[in-house]
Amino acid sequence: MSDCGCDKAKRDLEEFLRDEVCRTEAADIRTHLEHCESCRSEAALSVTLTEAVQRACKETAPADLRDQVLERLRAIKAGHETESTPAV
Amino acid sequence: MVQAVLERPGLADATGTERAPTGPGRAQPLELDWASMIPIDDAPVSGSAGINAPSDVSADETGTETTDARSVAVADVETPSVEAEPVADPRPLFEEQALPFIDQLYGAAMRMTKNPSDAQDLVQETFVKAYAAFGQFQQGTNLKAWLYRILTNTYINQYRKKQREPYQGTIDDLEDWQLGGAESTTATSSRSAEAEAIDRMPDSAVKDALQAIPEDFRLAVYLADVEGFAYQEIADIMKTPIGTVMSRLHRGRRLLRDLLADYARERGIETTRVRSAR
Repeated sequence: MSDCGCDKAKRDLEEFLRDEVCRTEAADIRTHLEHCESCRSEAALSVTLTEAVQRACKETAPADLRDQVLERLRAIKAGHETESTPAV
Repeated sequence: MVQAVLERPGLADATGTERAPTGPGRAQPLELDWASMIPIDDAPVSGSAGINAPSDVSADETGTETTDARSVAVADVETPSVEAEPVADPRPLFEEQALPFIDQLYGAAMRMTKNPSDAQDLVQETFVKAYAAFGQFQQGTNLKAWLYRILTNTYINQYRKKQREPYQGTIDDLEDWQLGGAESTTATSSRSAEAEAIDRMPDSAVKDALQAIPEDFRLAVYLADVEGFAYQEIADIMKTPIGTVMSRLHRGRRLLRDLLADYARERGIETTRVRSAR
């Protein structure tokens, strides 16, 4: 385990936060973050952005959409509708 | 400000033609991700043609073997042949397994179509197609990712064509400076101020900012940030190489940050972010 330095930490920060780097690299980046306040604040900002997007995009499907979907599926089962809609 | 950058003539030229697919990205082998994941090290973040493009002939071969059951299933969605499947009809399981994803699919459909009525139609179409193809879904594999692939396919085939918004097919090829995405030299203190501003940002502002960034970027950000899909899954859903996914995600988030900083500044929320020279 070694400190990978700012350049690498900044470059691979997103991948690190998403668990998309291999274990040794992750350990190096983690070590660097422990020592570097600047990179740590960049990581915090990145996480904050992700959380804001998650929060903003939370949707609940309209209640009748579920019913409409079920209705169509049952119509298909009953043979009232062809199974595939032609591609436009 | 970002908007102004996006409207530069360079972009208009660039969007004229569809980007030629590069490399074997369409059918990445799912199981063996190391080949595509480790080279992150050497990958230029801005390079869209990216990591998977040349050199690796064997990856290309495995890619075309169509050993990936999920890609086979989705490829066949347009012409379902459920009857030909000799195994027991799994469709009675469909409602129970797939319907719980309706809220998530609707959320994604809203980000794609930008309006509730089209989003509802898109979700309905997705469920109808998924139901028809469900015989080809391999139980035990990732149903959510499978549904998202059908949703994305359906959207691209049926809805995107109808929209007036020009298809931004070559957006990946733009240089970072054209997108204003160069790394800024932000100080720690202003970064935490920026984080605080983003944290207090109303949902509507975040949504507006998302809608303002190019569609492929928006989708990558949505799939990664909201749905938490792995890069490989996003690559499968969007049918692009992993390098392109990373590039879209990074640049999309960069644009988002800039737009949110603009929003905060307009409302007098101090972010004191030092913006990069363009």
